[in-house]
Amino acid sequence: MDFETLRKLSRDPWFGAGMAILSVVAALILLGPVLSPYDPYDMGFRPLSPPSSGHWLGINDGGMDILSELFMGLKNTVFFGLIAASAGLTLGALVGLSSAVAGGALDRFLMRMADIFLAVPPVMVLILVAAFFRPSPRVLALALAFLGWARSAKVIRAQARVVNGALHVKAARRMGGGRVYVIARHLMPEIFPLYVIGFAAQLRVAVFMEASLSFLGLFDPSRKSLGIMIHYALRYYYMDVWIHWLLPPVVCLTLLIMASTFLAVSLEKVFDPRLKETV
Amino acid sequence: MTMRIKGLTVSYTDGDHSLLALDGVDLTLSPGRITALVGESGSGKTTLGKALIGLLPENARIRGRVCLDGSDILELSEKERNRYRWQRISMVFQDGQAGLNPVMRISDQIAEPLIRRLGYGREEARPAVQRRLEEVGLDAGLAKRYPHELSGGQAQRVLLAMALVLDPEYLILDEPTAALDATTKNFVFSLLRDLKAGGRSLLLITHDLELVSGVSDDVAVLYLGQIMEAMPAGELLTEPMHPYSSALVRSFPGMDTVRDLGGIRGDAFYRFTHVHSHRDGSVHEHTHVKAPGTVHEGGHAPLEGCLFEPRCTQAIPECRTGDVGFTAAGSHSVRCLRGGIVAMLVMEGVCKSYGSVQALESTDLTLKAGEVFCIVGETGSGKTTLAMVAAAALGPDRGSRLFEGRDMDLWRRQDYRSLARRIGIIYQNPGEAVSHRFSVFDIVAEPLRIQKASFGPEEIRNRVVSALNEVRLSSAPEFLKRYPHELNMGAIQRLCIARALIHDPVMLIADEPTSSLDPSVQAKVLKLLLGLQIEKGLTMLFVTHDLGIARKVADRIAVMLAGRVVESGPAKRIVNHPSHPYTEMLVESAKGTAAPSLRIEVGGNQDEGICPFLHRCRFATERCRRRYPEVAALDGGHHLVWCWNPRRSSSIMDWTQG
Repeated sequence: MDFETLRKLSRDPWFGAGMAILSVVAALILLGPVLSPYDPYDMGFRPLSPPSSGHWLGINDGGMDILSELFMGLKNTVFFGLIAASAGLTLGALVGLSSAVAGGALDRFLMRMADIFLAVPPVMVLILVAAFFRPSPRVLALALAFLGWARSAKVIRAQARVVNGALHVKAARRMGGGRVYVIARHLMPEIFPLYVIGFAAQLRVAVFMEASLSFLGLFDPSRKSLGIMIHYALRYYYMDVWIHWLLPPVVCLTLLIMASTFLAVSLEKVFDPRLKETV
Repeated sequence: MTMRIKGLTVSYTDGDHSLLALDGVDLTLSPGRITALVGESGSGKTTLGKALIGLLPENARIRGRVCLDGSDILELSEKERNRYRWQRISMVFQDGQAGLNPVMRISDQIAEPLIRRLGYGREEARPAVQRRLEEVGLDAGLAKRYPHELSGGQAQRVLLAMALVLDPEYLILDEPTAALDATTKNFVFSLLRDLKAGGRSLLLITHDLELVSGVSDDVAVLYLGQIMEAMPAGELLTEPMHPYSSALVRSFPGMDTVRDLGGIRGDAFYRFTHVHSHRDGSVHEHTHVKAPGTVHEGGHAPLEGCLFEPRCTQAIPECRTGDVGFTAAGSHSVRCLRGGIVAMLVMEGVCKSYGSVQALESTDLTLKAGEVFCIVGETGSGKTTLAMVAAAALGPDRGSRLFEGRDMDLWRRQDYRSLARRIGIIYQNPGEAVSHRFSVFDIVAEPLRIQKASFGPEEIRNRVVSALNEVRLSSAPEFLKRYPHELNMGAIQRLCIARALIHDPVMLIADEPTSSLDPSVQAKVLKLLLGLQIEKGLTMLFVTHDLGIARKVADRIAVMLAGRVVESGPAKRIVNHPSHPYTEMLVESAKGTAAPSLRIEVGGNQDEGICPFLHRCRFATERCRRRYPEVAALDGGHHLVWCWNPRRSSSIMDWTQG
């Protein structure tokens, strides 16, 4: 990424908005331990207290400070999402590209595998894995990635095959360009939008999946995450807690997903020169 | 009696410079034969003529021998030389008016040699003068005129009459037709034939190649004072074997020439020998080259190796150093290390099919170094497949390919990159041939980056800039950062041309390079492409469906139909005398004169072993339905047609041309 690209990015409002949200989130994650007024695991407060000057977001049913819990939950959720999304996408891109470039038997084998993985509902498998193996959240994120690579692999393969047959790629091969060169200079840039869009999508799926698994109680109930917070808050829907308990994690989750979408849109525009003039 | 010129070397000295005008010329002039001497200005043609007649200026240094009747006429004393001059050997100079004395009547000038050499009286000479004037086609009444009362063509013929007045055996004519109009030229043609029939030996110095092929028997091609090729005159236009002869022919505007005139790459130069005397008394001699019309320029002339090497389309490193002697090739004698024009690409029996579709049926194709070869045919005739097989971009199912004398398939397997550097490809659709994510700079630099081993970033930048300048595109930093979607198609195609040429390939494959451009842009891009082809001495395979374009660019044309070549030959033959009914139809369609019934159907039948044009052919016979036609060779084997009934309707021209 050269200076020119950075300059163009910095002038794009989408990029600005995305980066602003992300930097706030990053700051909250990094400064969480310092900013947290209390230990999130401290259960020594009066459960279900409304917000007060000592506890800005009040206390949850377990007697823990919600603000401190939010910092911790945000960090866990973001890491879970990042691990699942990047691992899943890397696997998908790898499979998709090699399938497109190699073709033949390898292509057929990999795509049949992808079909099998697409047929398996990841939630069910994850429930089983989580229930019987009790893995750490990090391993569960990798498991989610392993189950979710097929969709991006299929999309990336399709696009890579189109690009692979394009005249400029044939021309590059005829100039003596090898496989590595063609993948690096022609295929990768061409599927870049799929990559960023795919990443945003995987992130969203991962964050929701984490929330769902938490909701089903398949994580350690004492673990802090946005999903688990929503899960507990919803139990008290009949009480007037949603503003200070349910809304903060939902807003954080939404902002997280919006930020990744904004960045995806902006990067796509900048990296596709044909869209650049509209920036 | 023949005149044998052996190792004739002439240089003009001027102070400590000397200009080498003739360098070891061997030539034989026989009675009853016309020998032509062709070459660019400055090649030494006139010097040779003047040397034979002994009229070289004082500063000329002559070496070698000219044997006539057992004696060397270069050794003769001035007195003896005066005797044989005009009586045995005479010369007609180029500029008619300047060769005549402006204050003497024509009759007196023609009579002068008779009076002074043979002691005729003025009255005695008169009938002889009149006879000579009539012989050269001038009215006897002109005899009373002064030179300024004559036209250029008349003056030229008066000079001829003067040269003939003493009945010399040897006649040297310097550009006898340069100042003449076409009808007078025709008269001179027949006059020359008469002179030859009378047993005279003529040396014709000319750059009019029609004169050469029309009346001469032998021709010698002179370049920078050296004979490059000697051959029977009739073969100069049809099969020149030296790259220089071929380039000369390509530059000549004959009446049936169809390709746009190209010229010869680079400039001719003169060779100057410069002698320095040092203070210590030693003398140092070295040779410079200098292009005509320029001031003294550095650079040393090729002291060894081939003189034509800098401008040659097929030079190899050995041409710069090797000892270039004559090679006999049939009736030709060629001064070329490589034995004359070589084949750049020879493909034999190449077949290619895509699944069940046979795109290419056993096809032969030979590309000669430095020529533009066009493949013409309708959609689906296999042109692009053939071009891509020639470009090593596709492997044929069967058949052999020889590129620069090496097996292409083997080369491709062993070192594809070095093969890819030798071949540039230009595609039909420039918009798709470049990645829209690449900037102008990236597009042109791509081939260099792919073969990155040998280029640093600085060199890549310099080469991209010079490549862009070559295709007349801006090389400003802002332009280098542009992207294809900001450019028009013509500019993108120029980028593609720059990209194809950045490795200095020897062969260029152009697949319909202009068919996606609008006509005005197409004209410019074509002109650019052909200019580059000449200047870089490229061998080019040009694919087009448009016969109109093919005739403008091609030296040779092959017409394809249903995966086969049905006719191939020199472009002028294919366009002026199409012999395959299909080609004839193409020519008529291109002119818009084809019968409507002929135009409706496209596509050929792919039935095994029958002419693909059968069901559209007006001339089909029972034999056509049974077997695939054998090849028929026309025009001395240069024009091939795969048809049982080749069209000869317009071939009457062939007989008159001999």
